[in-house]
Order: sequence, then C-alpha cells, then structure tokens
Amino acid sequence: MRLKDKLPLSYLLFTSRGRINRLTYWTVSAFIWSTFYVLHTLLNDFIGEGATYILYPLLLVSLVATATKRLHDINRSGYWLLIVLIPVLGALWLIYWLGFKKGDNRANRFGTIPNEAADYLKNDDGSLIPHLKTQERIINDVTHLNPVVVADVFRPTSTEELQEKVRTTTGPVSVGGGRFSMGGQTASPHSLHIDMRGLNQVIHFSKAERIIKVQTGIRWCDIQRFIDPHDLSIKIMQTYANFTVGGALSVNCHGRYMGHGPLILSVRSVEVLLADGSLVYASRTENPDLFFGTIGCYNGLGIIVTAELDLEENLAVRRVYKKLPYTDYSSFFIDTIRDNPEAVFHNGDMYPPAFTNMRAVTWVKTTEKPTVKTRLMPLRESYPLERYFMWAFTETMLGKWRREHVVDPLLYLTTPIHWRNYEAGYDVAELEPRSRTKRTYVLQEYFVPVRHFEVFARKMSEIFNRYNVNVINVSVRHALPDQGSYLAWAREEVFAFVVYYKQRTNDVAKNAVAIWTRELIDAVLSVEGAYYLPYQAHATAGQFHQAYPNARKLFALKKKLDPDFRFHNILWDTYYQPDNN
Amino acid sequence: MLRLPILTVVMVLLAVVLYLRKGRQTLTIPAGKGCVVPNDWFAANPHPMTPADHVRPADQTFLTYPEWFLVHSPAEIADYAKNHTTTTFPYMSHVRQLWQSYGIVYDQIKATFPFNTGYHVMIWVIGVSTTVEYAMKALYETVVGRLTNPAHGCVVTDEDKFNAQFTQDYVDFIRELPWYEFDFTSRISRLFSETSLWGPHFIRKCERKYMLLTELVVKAGYGYLIKLGTKAAYDEALLTTAVVVDKAPATLPSKTKLLKTYPDESALLLLPRYEAFNPAASALAQHGVTFREIAGNNSALLLTVLSPENWHPDRPDFRVVFTQPVLTKPGLKRVALVTTVGRLNKTIRYVQEQHVTIEHVYDY
Repeated sequence: MRLKDKLPLSYLLFTSRGRINRLTYWTVSAFIWSTFYVLHTLLNDFIGEGATYILYPLLLVSLVATATKRLHDINRSGYWLLIVLIPVLGALWLIYWLGFKKGDNRANRFGTIPNEAADYLKNDDGSLIPHLKTQERIINDVTHLNPVVVADVFRPTSTEELQEKVRTTTGPVSVGGGRFSMGGQTASPHSLHIDMRGLNQVIHFSKAERIIKVQTGIRWCDIQRFIDPHDLSIKIMQTYANFTVGGALSVNCHGRYMGHGPLILSVRSVEVLLADGSLVYASRTENPDLFFGTIGCYNGLGIIVTAELDLEENLAVRRVYKKLPYTDYSSFFIDTIRDNPEAVFHNGDMYPPAFTNMRAVTWVKTTEKPTVKTRLMPLRESYPLERYFMWAFTETMLGKWRREHVVDPLLYLTTPIHWRNYEAGYDVAELEPRSRTKRTYVLQEYFVPVRHFEVFARKMSEIFNRYNVNVINVSVRHALPDQGSYLAWAREEVFAFVVYYKQRTNDVAKNAVAIWTRELIDAVLSVEGAYYLPYQAHATAGQFHQAYPNARKLFALKKKLDPDFRFHNILWDTYYQPDNN
Repeated sequence: MLRLPILTVVMVLLAVVLYLRKGRQTLTIPAGKGCVVPNDWFAANPHPMTPADHVRPADQTFLTYPEWFLVHSPAEIADYAKNHTTTTFPYMSHVRQLWQSYGIVYDQIKATFPFNTGYHVMIWVIGVSTTVEYAMKALYETVVGRLTNPAHGCVVTDEDKFNAQFTQDYVDFIRELPWYEFDFTSRISRLFSETSLWGPHFIRKCERKYMLLTELVVKAGYGYLIKLGTKAAYDEALLTTAVVVDKAPATLPSKTKLLKTYPDESALLLLPRYEAFNPAASALAQHGVTFREIAGNNSALLLTVLSPENWHPDRPDFRVVFTQPVLTKPGLKRVALVTTVGRLNKTIRYVQEQHVTIEHVYDY
C-alpha cells in the first residue's frame, strides 16, 4: 500500500509530490491555518509563548508542500514559490496561481489530474501466502469471495512464450485476465495460473474497414484510448472498461447496445491456443466448432490469444428516460426502442424492493455538443458520493424508497450528452465498497425470452422478497439471439435481468444466496430462459444442462481437444468432471 | 478522501470556539445594557441659531466614534513603535475593540434616530478594510515577523525605526486630513534611502523592507481607489464647527473666529473641526463659557478621555458609555462619556481637575 493510500493526510501535508486542485487547496489551507491557530492558542495559553515555536517547522513544511502540489497542478515547479519574494506583485501572482487558476486538464510532468486515478481499477497479481516460500499464490476475483490457491502464476509477454509454456508443462492450467468474473472462473486449485494481462498489444487496426485485431490481455479501456482519436468506438462491449478482451470473450458478455446482443456478434475471428500448444485460427467459416466453442465457453477448449473485433462510429449520445410500471415495459420497449435506429444504449432499471416501477433509460444519437469535457471517461481516485449512495440504498431505512423518489429524480434532472466511448468507459472502482470483508456486492444475471418478461419479473420479485435479498438494482437490457456459441445464453431474443445485490460474507449468508439463486434459476428455466455463468456456481448440474442444452456437445469437443483436462476453472471443476477433485 | 473535509470542519469550529472564548476577555466594557443616555438628552433642537449650512445631524457624535477609533488605534501603534517593534502589537484586539465599540455607540442611538445608511456604509467600508489590514498584519507578524524579531522586541534596525517614524507621521496627518491623502508613494523611495542595505540583523532588515514596501505599495494603491470613490460618493467635508456660546470671551482661543454677536451677548463662533476642536473648546470652557449649540445641536455629545484604571467618575453632568483598556499601556483606559452641549463646559472642567486627558470631543 502506498503512503498516499495509507496516510492520505500526511501525504497531502508533508510531501510535495503530485497535484491538487483548487478546492483541495482551499480546504487544506483552511485546515492548516485553523489547526495552527488552535495549537498556537493552546500552547501559548497552557505552556508559554516559547512553546509555540515548535509549530513553525510543521506550518512551513505543510504550507510549502501543499502550495507546491497546487503549482504542479498548473504545470509549474515548486521553485515558483520564490516569486513571493517580489513584494506585492509576487504575492498577488501567487495568490492567483494557488487559489484561482484552473489546473491543467490533462496529465502533466507532475502527475495526472487531481483525484483522477492513473488507471482503471485492477485486481492484484495474486497474493502471497504468508510464511510459505513456494510459488503458490492466492488468486481471487473482485468480490474477494473466491480465493483459490494456485501452484504458480505465469505472466507471458508474447504468444510464443505462452505457447512454449503450455507445450512444456503438464497438469492443470487456469487462465485469468482482469478477473472481474465473480465465481472463480479464473482459477482452479493447484493449477498453473496464466495471467494474460501482459499480452496486451494491438496487432492490426484499419480505420477504413473499422476493424481491430488485438492480443486478448488488452483491456477494453486500452482499445478505447487507441481508437478514440480515429472517431471509432467498440461495437459491443460491457459498460465497464476494466475487463480484458479475453475475459469478456470467454464469458461472451453484453452491454446496453441496441440492435446488438452478445459480444460474439462483433467478433470476426480468434486465434486459440490449444492444450497441445498449437495455435489455431477460428472464424464462423473456418474451424467454426472452435469459434463457437471458445467464445462464451470459459476457456474450456483453449486460450483465446488474439481476437479481431468490429468497430463503429463514435457518436455523441443524449440521455432520455421514462418512468413506467413494469407491466408497460415490454410494449413500450418493442414499440419505441427496439427498432428505433436512433437508440444507441438502452436499459430499464427496476426499483427494489417492489420491482413494480421502472425507469427506462435510452441514449439516442445526437449532433448536439457533449456536456462532458473529455471524450473518454475521466477516472477518479475515489467515488465518495457513489459509495455513500450504495451504502444508503442498502443499509438505511427507506434507503431504497429515497433512491426511487428522491435521489434518482435529482440525478435525472439533467440531460447529459456523452460520447459512445465515454458511456462505455465506466470504472468498476465506482462500485467498490470501503471493504469487502464483512459484506460484498455481487452480480447475477438471468436471460428471459422477450415474451416472458412480466412472468419472470413477478417470480423474481417474489423470490427476492421472500428471502429478503438486499437488491440494489435490477437492470434490464435487450439482446438479439446468438445461434452459434455452444454456451449461448441468448438462443432467442431475450431481456437480460442484471441483478446487483449485497450479501454478507459468512458461510450462512453464502448458503442462503445459493438457495435463493437455485430457486431463481428454476424460475428462469420455467420460462425457457437461462442464467449467466460468470457468477457463483450455485446451479445444480441438472439446472446447468437445462439452461445450456448444448453443453454436452461442448463437453464432447473438450474431450477431443483437451483430452488430459488441462484447462480448469471452478466452472469446469463443477460441471465437467466434478469427480476429478 | 473524506477525512480532510471532516477534519477541516472540526478544526475550523474548534478555532471559532477558541476565538470566541478569548472574546470574553474584557476589551470593551459597556456601562450598561443598551442605551445608557438619559432620554431627554436626545431632545432635538427645534430652532437652531446656527446657520443651516453649519448644522450637522445629532447622531453623528456617536457615529464618528468608530471612525476616530481608527485614529486612536494608529496613534497607539505609533506610540508603541517608539520602544517596541510593531511585530508584537495586539492588532486583533484592536479589531475587536473597533467592532465592539461600534456596537455600543449604535445601541445608544438606534431607538432615537432613523438608520443613517450612508454613514453606516462608510463605517463598514473602513471597518472591514482595517480588519483585513490588521488581520493580515497579525498573520504575517505571527508567522514571519515573529521569527525575525530581535530579542525583547526592541527597535534595533533602521527599518523598524523607519516604521516608527512613518507610523507617527501618518497619525499626525490623519488627525487633520483623510488618510487617503497621505503621501505613501514618497515613503517608498525614503524606505530605501533612509535605511542601510547591510548591517546587523540583516535578515530582519530584509524582512522589514519587504513588509514595509508591501504595506506602502498596497496603501498607496488602495488610497488612490478610495479617494476616487469618496469623491464620487460623499460631499467634501467642512473643516470647521460652528458653535453658539452664551458669551464670547474677550480673547478668543487660536484658530477660532467670531462670526456674529447676538443682542443677548451670545455669539456664533467658528472653531476648527476634528482634532483641533478639543483644545479650542477646552480653552473656551476654561474661560467660563457655556455652550448653547455645537454644529446646530444642543443634545447629547460624546467625548473620550484617557484615565487611570481606577478612575470611576460619577457626576450628574455626564454618563459613562463604555471603557476600553489601552492594551499597550497597562493601567490606562479610555472612557467614553456622554454629556450634553449645555453641560460640556462643566464636564471639561471636571475632567481637567481630575488630571485626566481628553482624547477627543466628537463634534458631530
């Protein structure tokens, strides 16, 4: 942990590194001076005038340190403080610089924009096991609910290196990227864990053809930075840009895009590293079995090493919304959104705990000027307001009522206009609680054929209320069918119910989640839908196969391509060869 | 990081609490709650004998006090600067005395007179300016000045001597004329010609040059602006005060003119206004003259005296309004007295018998 995180105030007051904005400077100045006054008065009154001199070094250092940080913000070195030696003019100039001049709106030689994180939130490189001097590491995901001890962690920096490693080793292999799946899909006990984040190069890009070929350890945010200057945008991705492409491909993710659906629909081809170390090209026409058996198939057949993805124009989009009862939602959606060429993003938020009211939010194409200054989502060091709201919604009396009737109406007063890339560039950090030790936020997702929307919504609401599930939000998205992938979750046109909830981390709570999850899976199966696999593997084998009828075909393919069962993770350990453990 | 805003709020509140706690220290002591002036002392003069262009509003005797405090205060600084560097001067206590006494004098008149907006605005402007100036000085002297201040705060550098001289000249000037007429600009060159570049206490010398230069430049600039503003907003002030006495003495005090004698021997005199009014009026009182009108008024009149701490007068001719300790001269206090124009001669004579100095008579 950096000093900055451990002792943020000391870092602010006594080091001259980094940048601070005007608000921080004013606040910290008020803090320094009021503290000085208080201590000075107390020392003077209770000990004596001489004692006050001990305050001066602290005062001076903190004034110089904070002023230097502020000067850094306007791209000037701390030596400019000496300008104060010029009477009057120097002091006025300095007051203007420190207190009023706006900071650089981009990173400069002294650091990134204040309160802006240098990068998207990342998971660690695998934590050491205390007191053990082996290569073993604990691989965990973003929820911290799934710690898995792996034998070793390998971080390839080139495809050849990775190929060599797979070829020259035997034994189980697990593959991870950003590790934002929530059920141990990136690790398996005592496996060799391959951390793909080093394979993050753009291999080929064509602006004219709107296509990009990347190594799959690259994150979506990295691609956004690469293509944004060319006014291009990723055709399909999820809302949060922290994930790696490989991870997103393996779970066949989706976003809020209208007229699209699962990620596979925007993939032209992939290169897959098989268990024998061979690298195989696969597309819809060439090796289609492999193409449809790797995308959305959780690393069962091999490791996706490269991918060729479609791009689209990066448009400005304006937010519009409508609040309505859930019974009106499907017809509203089908009549006004589904075939509307102007709609770019869409989702419907169902308000807990009743789940009877919804807010349908659509981002439509616009030629108006965006209301945000940056083309890409600016990253922030902390999200205190978001964190407070999450806490208030989940932990306080009437928190959910306040959200529906007070907070959201205020948040929706404005009409923001964003870039398409901006709106797909959220940082998972905004969802991070202070600590995940006692309670944690978890996702689940259910796919419901469009015609069964209301039936499922009723069943879901009943189950959540019966089990007192602390649901923060249910976001409904739409997806067109994916008729190829072996583990396709949208075999027909579906609504995706993205459930975000809070749970305790003790065993009793984990068990309770497992019970209501299975009940919810039964509910979705009863309407011919499916549940999503990147989350906790609570489903029974029967439920799994009912939701994914082509899984057995995939298993057969796995037997052929991975005869020694090298590619492991919790999903395969649970449903493919449960007796193997 | 939420810790900083929370801590800042806590520390600011704590500082305010400490500041207000210190405020209980008695810097201005009112003689009573609210108005202490007998009601009939405020009775207006229905038919002034004084010509209309010499008549001034009766409440101004009180309202001029805050203005004059801003002369008394630099005078105290100038006095202090002769023997001590001004680094240790209690600026913030003077700020408190200013606002506290303003509150008390306003308490005396607020029930009787309508709100004099123009005058109050002027007091706020000069009061806030002075507060800012004193606060900046207090801050600077606490943070920087204190570190270069010679042991025991003695005046040892040319620069501190220059400061003492400048402060004294400034006070002498503003006793007669508005402060913004003072020639700060010429002092800037004198600051460098009258002090040595090198010498003992070199750091102190540099630091004082920096501080004095800043003060002179800022005051020159601010004075220029205020001068423009004052010319636009207020009429040129009269520099004389018309006084009606029961009988003109055979020899008039200096700077006093006899304008008119009435059949009943009473006379209209023209006395100098402001600082010189007190000696002229005192001289008339010594001649046994009784005042009938001052600037057209025969009602309540404020004066301040500087007396020993243990002086507690109780006479029917005047009332004590408030007292303020003179902080840099332990044992001495300022006493604000209210009398009427008709009782002024007796009050002056009594005070002088007691060997108490009249600081100022507030001649409306």
